[in-house]
Amino acid sequence: MAEPQPRGEDEPRRGGEPKPPNRISIIVASDKLDKLFPAVTLASTAAVMGWEAELFFTMWGLSALRRGYEASEVSSDYKIHEASLLRTLASGSMPGWREMLAEGRKMGRLRVYACSTTMGMLGIGAEDLSEMVDDVVGAAYFLDRAKDSDINLFIS
Amino acid sequence: MKADVTVDARYKSCPGPLLELAKAVWNSKPGQVILLLATDPGAPRDIETWASHTRHRLLAVEKDGDVFKIYVEASG
Repeated sequence: MAEPQPRGEDEPRRGGEPKPPNRISIIVASDKLDKLFPAVTLASTAAVMGWEAELFFTMWGLSALRRGYEASEVSSDYKIHEASLLRTLASGSMPGWREMLAEGRKMGRLRVYACSTTMGMLGIGAEDLSEMVDDVVGAAYFLDRAKDSDINLFIS
Repeated sequence: MKADVTVDARYKSCPGPLLELAKAVWNSKPGQVILLLATDPGAPRDIETWASHTRHRLLAVEKDGDVFKIYVEASG
């Protein structure tokens, strides 16, 4: 019997098909700091681990993709922690969420998608979107990608 | 252990140390050794996990007071 083969990133599986990379798909439905940071932390980390990482910004999350948008608030339930979080971010001890997205896009396969329905709902045009956006997509595209993702998260 | 590049990510929180290490590895030649300095208590296990998902190699983790010294060899 053949020895089991190590399952490295590009090791061919039996049958010669390369093993597909792991993938995480995240729906980001809030533009608040306490929601954006976990989503972007996981996506950028996945990207530098060689995974595919996909972020689908929808509903209020889409605001974060507007050109020039500065996230500066936490969710209303956690307002008491807002000042200390803003101080931590200003200190530079954590990378900024845009910086994390940029690093993930540069070093790995991180994609950012904007929800087409929300764009219509909020009156956001393609020209209003940040250059970080890879494409404008709908529900069917997300479902097709999420179907084969190893991890699917909805962060709201 | 000698390192070709040192990345000082002390007092940076997750995912700062990992992203800074990944950037240094990205800019390195195969075989170069990167030393990551980190105080984030999650860093050693994070870097070990990252290495297991990539072709890069974790060489050693040392502790010097509060500082982890994490040596990684970049692969092609």
